[in-house]
Amino acid sequence: MPRYELSLILKAMQRPETAAALRRTMETLLQRGAVVRDLENLGERRLPYKMSKHNLRHSRGGYFLVDFYSSPSMVTDLLDHLGRDVDIVRTTVLKKEEQPQSVSYCCSPPSPNSDSISPSQS
Amino acid sequence: MLAFRNCRTVLQTLSQGIRRQVTEQASRSLSVVPDEAHKDMPIKMENPYKQPQKGCILCSNNIEVDYKNIQLLSQFISPHTGRIYGRHITGLCGRRQKEISKAIKKAHSMGFMSVTLKDPQFMKDPNICDIKHLE
Repeated sequence: MPRYELSLILKAMQRPETAAALRRTMETLLQRGAVVRDLENLGERRLPYKMSKHNLRHSRGGYFLVDFYSSPSMVTDLLDHLGRDVDIVRTTVLKKEEQPQSVSYCCSPPSPNSDSISPSQS
Repeated sequence: MLAFRNCRTVLQTLSQGIRRQVTEQASRSLSVVPDEAHKDMPIKMENPYKQPQKGCILCSNNIEVDYKNIQLLSQFISPHTGRIYGRHITGLCGRRQKEISKAIKKAHSMGFMSVTLKDPQFMKDPNICDIKHLE
């Protein structure tokens, strides 16, 4: 099963309400046969730009990251379901790569000429 | 006449002899006597002054590019407009520049990073790009 990463932005709420919203999200995931691996809290911070969702303008939000394994067919359904939840501001599901990126040596970079006017290199 | 012809043949044989001697000498000098003959010839070795090939900052420090790491990504955008710097300013190699650019755009769309400005908490970060900002 491919590994996905769900980046969740919840409305800025009190602790019990955030917990309830997270619980709901987890239950939807588990209902659809996903195997949740990790749930990270990236903290509550100010959003980079104001987001409108469900007739509300949000300027602060709680960032959460859910690591899970699931079948690909379940993902669109999940996003549809989460879109209807009032407490959730933004959701994005990304596929996570299993293999670490191979670090290959890059070619030498263009020489930085801060003083002379160098032609822009493509 | 006979004398002349003889002369010519003598000259011919002489010249052949000389040519043979010369070629013998030449072959002797290039043949297998390495120490004496090649004392002042340059020794074959790779350039001792060669500097190790430098890569871009991300490659040389093995830094992984992640869309969640907005502090790293903010170092490659303009503090005034939030625009992504080009390759001639960042000094990154092709692959890394593309990765950074993609990660920044991902962060924009996912609501991690601002589009038109640089987060004020990252303004004091050291400048790794080749650009001078007016203070």
